[in-house]
Amino acid sequence: METPELYFDIAATTPIDKEVASLVNTVNIENYGNPSSIHSIGQKSHNIIERSRLSISNILNCKTSEIIFTSGGSESNNIVLKGILSKGDHLITSTYEHPSILSLAKKIETEGIEITFIKPDENGVIEPDKIQSAIKENTKLISIMYVNNELGTINPIQDIGNLAHKYNILFHSDAVQFIGKDKLNISDIKIDFLSMAAHKFYGPKGIGILYCKAGVIFKPLINGGGQESGLRAGTENTSSIAGMCKALEIANDNYKDIKDRILKLEKHFIGLLEHSNIDHRINGLNRLTGIMNITFFGVQGNSLLMNLDMQGIAISYGSACSSGSSSAPQALIETGMSENEARCSVRISIGKMIEEDDINRLFISIENIINRIQKK
Amino acid sequence: MKDGVLGAMSGGVDSSVTLLKIIEMGYEAVGVTMKLWEYKDFGGNNLQENNCCAVSSINKAKLVCERMGVPHYTIDFTESFKENVVDNFVDEYIAGRTPNPCVRCNSFIKWDTFIDQAEILGAKYIATGHYARIENDNENYFIKEGVDSKKDQSYVLWGIPKETLPKTILPLGDLTKEQVRQIARDNNLETADEPESMEICFIADNNYKRFIKEYAPDKVLDIKGGKTLNEDGEQLGENDGYINYTIGQRKGIGLSNPNPLYVKKINPNNNTIVVGEKESLFKSICKVKHLNWLIDKPKFPHKTLCQIRYNGNKSEGIITKEGDEFIIKFKEPQLAITPGQSIVFYSNDVLSGGGIIKLCD
Repeated sequence: METPELYFDIAATTPIDKEVASLVNTVNIENYGNPSSIHSIGQKSHNIIERSRLSISNILNCKTSEIIFTSGGSESNNIVLKGILSKGDHLITSTYEHPSILSLAKKIETEGIEITFIKPDENGVIEPDKIQSAIKENTKLISIMYVNNELGTINPIQDIGNLAHKYNILFHSDAVQFIGKDKLNISDIKIDFLSMAAHKFYGPKGIGILYCKAGVIFKPLINGGGQESGLRAGTENTSSIAGMCKALEIANDNYKDIKDRILKLEKHFIGLLEHSNIDHRINGLNRLTGIMNITFFGVQGNSLLMNLDMQGIAISYGSACSSGSSSAPQALIETGMSENEARCSVRISIGKMIEEDDINRLFISIENIINRIQKK
Repeated sequence: MKDGVLGAMSGGVDSSVTLLKIIEMGYEAVGVTMKLWEYKDFGGNNLQENNCCAVSSINKAKLVCERMGVPHYTIDFTESFKENVVDNFVDEYIAGRTPNPCVRCNSFIKWDTFIDQAEILGAKYIATGHYARIENDNENYFIKEGVDSKKDQSYVLWGIPKETLPKTILPLGDLTKEQVRQIARDNNLETADEPESMEICFIADNNYKRFIKEYAPDKVLDIKGGKTLNEDGEQLGENDGYINYTIGQRKGIGLSNPNPLYVKKINPNNNTIVVGEKESLFKSICKVKHLNWLIDKPKFPHKTLCQIRYNGNKSEGIITKEGDEFIIKFKEPQLAITPGQSIVFYSNDVLSGGGIIKLCD
């Protein structure tokens, strides 16, 4: 490709920060000791992990013992559902969760766990009232994502937490799209579990966190050598933990600047669209800055994606499967959008590395492609 | 700017070399895998090798595209494939006929939708790895057999719309399979030693009887065992239900006779099959429906070469039109003319058209 690549898919994953990558590399080379070893070489690794845990717990405002390192969002989500629910328990979740909740929920439903799936409203938000009316005697867990990955809409996590607390029900939120993009003070919300993944905030892939409130007990998913207080066995990924901590520190120091900058870019892009003759709609209300789901009427999302890709520009359409094909974004259909409109909707997510010129190039490309396809 | 070509990539050696050839011809290539089927739904899992819609095949297609520096996309056509090919496949067996799903897929899905996709992506042509040639005489485009007579695939192309020929490139028609493999090896293509694909792409174990039972259980629920009759209508034995048989089948009939017996007729109405000795399966006439011409529509009666099965021999015949019906009279009697299969017409090595065999009286 002659032109430089442009990446508008940070909701899928982010490029790792250079500073983070370099730290990961250094730790990999210098701190190879097993953190469980008694010798000093092992202890150095151990201390890197514990220093990271301390820093992360300070940023999130929780206890160090409440931070469990995992391989990422999917594992954290799996730990909660599998570790908490037993036959006869009732789970309340939503119909537009990430597959690591949704497909798991559908599986455990066949194994004797009762599940209520709440649909988002037309703005892409889960209403606490709907959760309240789904609560039953045997409701053990509520699991609602913080930010929907397809729409970028933010759910009223505080209200849902209060509700769960009132009824003495455990509350989990898959927060992978939120953590590292905006400030979160865990002590502000009544929550028992939060899932996080470093690769969504310019950290390494394959590393994440499960926040588990002190005193809440669950069955571990992986048993073994007693790492992570016996809650998640396996030799720790020292370098990635250090990298994740660095990435969260960078995010924490720059939330406001980055948010302001991305908001400006987003407004610029929306302005360009509004002043063009492109028939479109921005979907969802109360969105996280930087994640936009847009319906381009009459233009298949997949076609737009492929055409942009051929010009070196990456956006997202639907939920990609392992074979690389994609189906209409289910989350949009759950909000009541027609299948036809959902097929014409793409996700454009703006990261901190994007400049105004990049937005201009994205807009011009979209305009040219849509004009050509519609002429046909 | 170079003209764009959308190369259909199955993840096999043929489509990989197709892509290589179109790049060599100077086109701007894009690799596209049409995802037609989800194996895990009906028999076989998604990881099974050697099925063109399996994940491993799509992954190989991606590796080949990356090696050649061209983008690769997978486009989902599973709904259309299910409606137009798989449902029809099952219905045809239930109607006592023997369908040819590859022909239907080419006729109703591949060409039209692929050309649509090409236009959407700004490409002018499509290319596939079929062993057949497209040539032109000024504005007049036609399909010829592939030079590798063992691999010739022109038979499955009779149903594609004639107007798509100028937009289609078939780079393998001048090559033999062995040459194609050698080209793939010489270029270190990841697919160079991929085994040949199987007969019916959506039936992982090639067991169509199992497939139909799993795919459409309610449709075959009432098809129980029936009677096996001779040509005089006398019962010779029992059968497992007519959908388990095809015309010309010899094995698995479960009858002993001094001379081998073959399935001669399938009667879905009363769930019987009629068997006879080989000589009785020769017929000199059949009807044909859903005709498609890839040459200028001929005048009838039309003398032509006919081929009634994939990899079968060609024999002379005359097509006549009687009312709304087309009738083929063969010069030499043909063995086991099978309703539902394609009859394909040639003039020397030019594919002139084809149709679906109706009943033969």
